[in-house]
Amino acid sequence: MFMDTTDIDKVFQKFPNQKREDLIPILQAVQDEFGYLSSEVINEVGRYLGMSENKIYGVATFYDNFRFTSRGRHHFRLCHGTACHVAGASTILKELEKLIKVSEGETGEDGLFSLEVVSCMGACGLAPLIQVNDKFYTNITLDSLKEIVVSIRKKDKASI
Amino acid sequence: MDFQIEVNNRKIGAFEGEKLLGALQRNGFRIPTLCHMNRFSPTGACRLCVVEVEGKGDLITSCSYPVEEGMKVKTNSRRVIHARKSLVELLLSNHPDDCLYCQRNGDCELQWLAGEMNVRERRYFGEKNRFFPDYSSSSVARDPAKCVLCSRCVRICEEVQLVTAIDFISRGNKTKVNSAFGQGLNVSSCIHCGQCIQVCPTAALLDISHLEKIQAALASDRKKVMFFISPSVIASVAEKLNMRPRDNVMKKIVSALKRCGADRVFDLGFANDINILEDAHRLVQVLQAKSEKPLPVISSCCPSWVRYAEEFRPGALDNMSLSKSPQQVLGTMLKTLYAENQKTDIEGIYTVAVMPCVAKKYEASLEKNTHKGVSEVDSVLTVRELLRMLRSFGLDLSQMEEEEVDSPYDVCSSAAWKLGYSGGKAEAVARQVFNMTAGSKKDTFRFNLPKNQSIRRETKITIGKEQLGFAWVSSIVEAEKYLQELEEEGRDDIHYVEVMACLGGCAGGGGQPISRGFENVKARKRFCVEMEKLSPVKSPADNPSLGKMFGDSGFDPGNAAARDWLKNSFDEKK
Repeated sequence: MFMDTTDIDKVFQKFPNQKREDLIPILQAVQDEFGYLSSEVINEVGRYLGMSENKIYGVATFYDNFRFTSRGRHHFRLCHGTACHVAGASTILKELEKLIKVSEGETGEDGLFSLEVVSCMGACGLAPLIQVNDKFYTNITLDSLKEIVVSIRKKDKASI
Repeated sequence: MDFQIEVNNRKIGAFEGEKLLGALQRNGFRIPTLCHMNRFSPTGACRLCVVEVEGKGDLITSCSYPVEEGMKVKTNSRRVIHARKSLVELLLSNHPDDCLYCQRNGDCELQWLAGEMNVRERRYFGEKNRFFPDYSSSSVARDPAKCVLCSRCVRICEEVQLVTAIDFISRGNKTKVNSAFGQGLNVSSCIHCGQCIQVCPTAALLDISHLEKIQAALASDRKKVMFFISPSVIASVAEKLNMRPRDNVMKKIVSALKRCGADRVFDLGFANDINILEDAHRLVQVLQAKSEKPLPVISSCCPSWVRYAEEFRPGALDNMSLSKSPQQVLGTMLKTLYAENQKTDIEGIYTVAVMPCVAKKYEASLEKNTHKGVSEVDSVLTVRELLRMLRSFGLDLSQMEEEEVDSPYDVCSSAAWKLGYSGGKAEAVARQVFNMTAGSKKDTFRFNLPKNQSIRRETKITIGKEQLGFAWVSSIVEAEKYLQELEEEGRDDIHYVEVMACLGGCAGGGGQPISRGFENVKARKRFCVEMEKLSPVKSPADNPSLGKMFGDSGFDPGNAAARDWLKNSFDEKK
């Protein structure tokens, strides 16, 4: 799947210096524009800054905030802070991966689900918890997790 | 010496500002290290060079710590030894441990360290590295499972070759060396120079081996296997086996390869001669038609440099000399002229180039280097592979009798040896230009160079009425700097630039036996220079093989018929 990068010049106009120092701000701006950093986007950034694609990818993967795949329509963020870990986040993660058939950090081929594991969300009293798009689900159990996924699938079907 | 420091209760001299490791190594203290490279800034990545410094609580990495007057250092206290041993054990804990099956078995710095540190039992049980090896490239193979993350390859790729085909991806315990999106080296910016293989302490970077293919061809009745051997290969084989220039190394290699089943063994030096004649001819041609064609003429015999220019410096392509690289010249000849002369079907000829280079594997695989759908060069052996092949056939070169190189490509002029090291080709071309334009023969002419030697050099010589500038650079960073300088300053006094992608030229090529420091490269250059003196044929134009191949009229570099197969073409990246 190729990404249309014709609009990328608009982003570059904000960084007229074409300096290596601007790499991270540029990547952030580009990610805001396109949602994630695709191979095509990184290629364009490399061309603009005169840097190797591999170098940029190496820098970008160092930071957790850059994504390299598009998000699904329903983006799961699973909290894996200390409290959630103690409350069984690892088990939840394994089960969730099975239920939505997407592994950590990836997006399903149908674009329905994507899954991201994040550090503490700051709601430790409600552990374990997950966030799906804007909605939080707290005190998750394996049973309630299944219900959540089933209901989201249903809603998604209805909306199409 | 600026001041003294105390190491293991002995006083040694040190220079202000130098790093502790340098002072220790100069004074004969052997400090283990996996990530240190001379001429590079220290990273302190492997931490094996730790020493104890009095007054410091923690162990410090000597590679990155500057010397201080009067400091007291212990390099082999119990604490230091214990720390180093643990580090090696930890490096081994996720290593695949398949030494018996490993190509670098016996030539691996990690293995040596485990031996030196006396690691004899497994104390740490970790999860093993599991990564897919990358065999996508035509030249360089990667096996990230064996990587110890020392960063040598990453640094040489970025700082010396300027391409960053590989870099550290991710962070923490997920870090690995890879190309963007794990896409494989074949689609990356890799220029196939193989310098990463030279610096890799383990077998994480290897050449794509053609040994199996060649052994199959050697065993086949339908293929006549024809080897041709680059002069610089002879230098490094001799170095590896402690042979001297007068030991007729080439003739021994011929005999050994014949025992492996080779049908013919030729000297690639013949094609070097053609390459020099072509480059000199091109230079004279450009000089005579000043307005049309751009100066300086830039050599194009190094496939890594050509690849770099295609990808990153398309402007230089107009200046490139149009001659094919020696490997492709001889490959073409064998599959055209020679095949016709011998009345052999070209499918029945299997050509093997033995080169000090892994980029030649890439070059041989290119579509432009095919003839009637058949590769001009079927396989390329690096020096490492050649030595391995001879061992697997149970052959000891020092025991071989001497056998003559096969006609017609059996003579290598003294100029041909010059392609083996940086600066040599520029000198050979200068000689040839002398011979062509001044009418007087200057076959032993040498550049008169100032004593202070640096990597990049240039010189001016007067030929007839004109003063010509010759320059030579090795490594992409030097080439890039130099060409930029020429452009920015608008200089027009340089007429020929020899560019070699590897530091030191082919003597430091990616296909050479693993070099430990620059001393090996210098030794190979010295060998080539010795061989130049021994060679009976001085000028490339006097090479009798030219007569044998092209008849009485001799080889005419500008000849249209010759041009057709000897012409190189470039594939600019859009």
